[in-house]
Amino acid sequence: MAPTTRSLAQRGSPFLDPGPVTKANSLALLHLSRDNLEPVYLAQTAGEHDGYAEGVVVNTRYGSYPHSSMIGIPWGTQIRASKVDTGSRGRKRKRPNGDDAGPSSDGTPADTPAETETPEPPQNPAKQPVATTSGFIHILPPTPELWTLSLPHRTQVVYTPDYSYILHRIRARPGTVLIEAGAGSGSFSHASVRAVYNGYPDRDGKHKGKVFSYEFHEDRYRKMKKEIQDHGLEGLVQLTHRDVYNGGFLVDGESPKASSIFLDLPSPWEALPHLSRQRPQSDKAENGSETTEEDEKPWVSPLDPKKNAYLCTFSPCIEQVTRTVSALRRLGWVDIDMLEIAHRKLHTVRDRVGLNLPYDRSVNVSAKDVDEALGRLTEIEDRLRENSRPRAGADAMDDDDDIEADDNNITAPASTAEASSARPWKDGRLVTRGEPEIKSHTSYLVFAILPREWTGEQEAAALAKYPVGETGHIVGALDKAARKKERREHLESLKNQGSRKARRNEGFERLAKISETAV
Amino acid sequence: MDSVIKPGAWVVLQLPSGINRVIQVSPNTTISLGKYGSFPANLILERPYNLTFEILDRKEGEKFSRLRVVPTAELYAEIFADEASPECAAPTPNAGVATPAEPASAESTGQATAGKDVTETELKLLDENARQTLTQDEIEELKKNVTNAGKSVIDKLMSSHTAIDQKTSFSLAKYKLLKTKKYIRRFKVLPVDVPNFLEWQLSERDPSKILDIRAEMLGLVGCWANVHYGGDAVYLEDPGARCDAGGEAYAPLKPELFKGRWLVVDDTCGALTAAMAERMGLLYPEEEEDEDEEGEEDRDDQEKEETDQSAQQNTEPPAKTSKPPRGPRPSDFAIPYSQTNTITVVHAASQPNLSFLKYWGFDITAPNHPPHPLLNHLLNLTWLQLVQPERDLAYSLPPLTTSAETLMSWKPSRRGNFHRKRRRSARIRHIVDATRAGNFSGLVCASTMDPVSILKYTLPLLAGGATVAIYSPSIEPLAELADCFSVPRRTAWTSGSVPETAGKTAEELERWPGTPDFPLNPTLLLGTSLQTSRARRSQVLPGRTHPLMTERGGAEGYVFTAFRAKPAEGHVEAMGKWKKKKTEGSNSSVAAAAAAQDAAPVGADKDIPVEDATDPLPADEEMTDAPAPLAE
Ligand SMILES: C[S@@+](CC[C@H](N)C(=O)[O-])C[C@H]1O[C@@H](n2cnc3c(N)ncnc32)[C@H](O)[C@@H]1O
Repeated sequence: MAPTTRSLAQRGSPFLDPGPVTKANSLALLHLSRDNLEPVYLAQTAGEHDGYAEGVVVNTRYGSYPHSSMIGIPWGTQIRASKVDTGSRGRKRKRPNGDDAGPSSDGTPADTPAETETPEPPQNPAKQPVATTSGFIHILPPTPELWTLSLPHRTQVVYTPDYSYILHRIRARPGTVLIEAGAGSGSFSHASVRAVYNGYPDRDGKHKGKVFSYEFHEDRYRKMKKEIQDHGLEGLVQLTHRDVYNGGFLVDGESPKASSIFLDLPSPWEALPHLSRQRPQSDKAENGSETTEEDEKPWVSPLDPKKNAYLCTFSPCIEQVTRTVSALRRLGWVDIDMLEIAHRKLHTVRDRVGLNLPYDRSVNVSAKDVDEALGRLTEIEDRLRENSRPRAGADAMDDDDDIEADDNNITAPASTAEASSARPWKDGRLVTRGEPEIKSHTSYLVFAILPREWTGEQEAAALAKYPVGETGHIVGALDKAARKKERREHLESLKNQGSRKARRNEGFERLAKISETAV
Repeated sequence: MDSVIKPGAWVVLQLPSGINRVIQVSPNTTISLGKYGSFPANLILERPYNLTFEILDRKEGEKFSRLRVVPTAELYAEIFADEASPECAAPTPNAGVATPAEPASAESTGQATAGKDVTETELKLLDENARQTLTQDEIEELKKNVTNAGKSVIDKLMSSHTAIDQKTSFSLAKYKLLKTKKYIRRFKVLPVDVPNFLEWQLSERDPSKILDIRAEMLGLVGCWANVHYGGDAVYLEDPGARCDAGGEAYAPLKPELFKGRWLVVDDTCGALTAAMAERMGLLYPEEEEDEDEEGEEDRDDQEKEETDQSAQQNTEPPAKTSKPPRGPRPSDFAIPYSQTNTITVVHAASQPNLSFLKYWGFDITAPNHPPHPLLNHLLNLTWLQLVQPERDLAYSLPPLTTSAETLMSWKPSRRGNFHRKRRRSARIRHIVDATRAGNFSGLVCASTMDPVSILKYTLPLLAGGATVAIYSPSIEPLAELADCFSVPRRTAWTSGSVPETAGKTAEELERWPGTPDFPLNPTLLLGTSLQTSRARRSQVLPGRTHPLMTERGGAEGYVFTAFRAKPAEGHVEAMGKWKKKKTEGSNSSVAAAAAAQDAAPVGADKDIPVEDATDPLPADEEMTDAPAPLAE
């Protein structure tokens, strides 16, 4: 058992099989706060590094975390900030509150909450030890979703709401060969390799899923190449430095034999002719004179000849969509479907409205219902009556002012406030709200299918295998009378069979029959 | 998934009217498309999916109609003509006038809701405007002698329409389309894979059966739960138990082999399970090219009689005596389930309802099941078996035992029964123990049960860093769930203001039984999030591109996601000290909450001003720096 695990660990991707615990030299994601993740490659260092006695250290505003404290622990673990020995290093970060605690023993004092409402200065020595023990983060295994939120952006990227739907629609499943262009920042690449993964190649003879990715921007290509290596995805993602408009999708002249395609390019229609079954018409027509010698070479399709190809293009503008769809139709794609994904994130809050709630900036101090409003109004009226009695005939204006003042001064009895604040998590009504800003448009998604080729020969073979002659019983759309009759008969037969066992056997026989015929 | 139509496969038949039918294609039968005609099933067997077929006129002397594959150039002929016309090449403001609901052309897909765009009123309007000179009888007569797959009827209708000149080219197109939908004898065959099944179930069957779960939601659930191929199958060694060996001979659990296991609560009749199986490479039997290797994995010995044929119906899966790679004949206690890449379904009734898996040739209730990848990778147990196994008879009763001689003296049928029961005992024991051993990679739910109650029992079973994705047709149950992990709750918990937590070990807190105030241990999940998503479709036609006029309503659908955290021990004190200091003030718990929020990143939500002021989220910075794709 042990040797196998070790060899797996060496080649496996933390995205596909992170194992139960964190590993050295592997990617991990530090969860600092919601949607605030920091990718780190955990480094096992012996001795000092960059001035830290603890070796490599991650500094966050939640404290400092030496890598050594994060290796070999279960994923999901909450890690407490360490007191690190920064030696002569100064603090890298500038603090808005001008904290100059300097090379403190723990490196975290500035991470105490810089609450604007808290008047105490952060340098307050009494607080120091508290802050040192308060910082913590969590460590999570990398997933495409978390990677997408934390990856170094080199381009616009495809986010989870879009790629989750796209991968579903283009039938990216274990064993699928997928073409992607351009690679960009690799967000889609990571999601798609997880979808098609069904083991590393060469393990056995089994057909393996793979992502063929293309990027013509030299720098992005190199960065992406490195990432593939660092993430243990070699052999699963094959990146080619290429302009696919001109160069197409063959790799070393060979067909990737893809059945799922995702194009995130400015002009997908320029790449589409390469994704044909046969040499595209326009290819011959337009470049007729230039490509005569090319013509002699047999044209190789990058698609799997035995599968239908499922495609998605991703374009922000409607003009791009129009051109793409027009090109798709001319190239014989069917089931063209265009849509966009509207995604919203929501969060829950406790809506706290009431006159008697303890003060807090999230509380809306107004009557929570009519009764509370009535109560307060009655109270005001009672006071008014009391005030007006001894000073009958006095200046009305003054009275009004007094009442105004009183209105503001009426506060809840202390006991009530105390009672409700004891359980702030239960106060108020639970409601959901959207985010302050919604990503209302990412891109238009165009889906299409290119059926596998079907030749006269194949048709003849199929006809020979399943000759038409006597026709058996009718399936499908029957007219009403026939349907009713069939149902009646079915019910009868069920009644006759009676026992559940009989029904089961029927189901099983049916399955057996299917499998027999299928083999 | 096959790319050609195999005998016995369930397929979607897409009719010109946009209606989809799901049927099973059996050789030597006739498939009827109602008014559109009928044809022999053999004519579509072994042909590719997604082609458009046309039902041809019967040949002289033949009792059936043959089919023709319609080339795409023909399917798109009118669109191409439109594209060529100047009107569309340069759309003028006028060109847009007559473009209300243009149905999404003949190419509308299994995904698109073809024809849904034409509303009732529009239909009526069209009919009123239409001054069709042909009487219904004449049309019927025409249809009887129908030739050219209905095109002749349509042509005739078009030419007999007196108002045709008055129509704009757009309403003309619409008129033709309506008539085409009614008379053209074309259809398409789509595979019943998860996306097509979902579409059909939602738009034409009973969406409530699958809790209205749309593809967008399934996609989100699958991704956030990180459901993927969880590794090559690994089996436990056969303990080789003899017939007189009892429970002590069960194969011991090996949790160290566990990998890629997902826990599932599925009240969608198996739609969710199917989607997961699809993502894990477990839904479709391997394709023909790989048929030879297939036997290795798809071993099927569920309830298989091994000693005799007589007691058994002759329905063994053909040819295959595929066995796990060890031992010629597994003992009763051999565990047929892989330790990796598995789906464990927990169900509320005594049997799981996964009936929709039948579309992929899997029936969990069938004995002697023919090979299917799910056989060795789908485990199921009841909530009682999970939570209180000792109260479940099947789990707690010891396996039957008998001496070899007694066994030999029995009639074959009794022997078969004996073996079957022993196998059942061993399997239930294994499933329950393996599930209770936990360490799942994720939890996926689409259930009518309260998610809080589901998490109460399943959170302890999740490995650190495991994913949680819970779908609900409505938001309220998920909002309540999210509220269990609210900042004030976590703050109160970590600052030691929950008296019930005092003195509990981390292990005990993981199995938190729940109190009215704290139904769940709020520190066990990280990054909780609620979201929803919806696809907005458009038709794309030359000069007439616009979003569809109607879309399916009903339940919107929401997804809750999170990661399983392993809270550190001992940090409670630190926070407590802080709190004590602050409690001298008047707004004690509020201040403590605010303070702890910032110190405790678990609770650090975006909407806390302090956070935003001190450190803009790096994600946002990168977003604005990133070049827009247009600029490239
Ligand atoms: C928007 S980005 C893709 C982002 C990517 N889908 C992701 O999720 O990170 C588009 C990429 O396509 C590349 N690209 C543009 N035209 C190309 C071409 N003709 N051949 C190859 N790559 C191209 C660009 O360099 C850019 O990196």
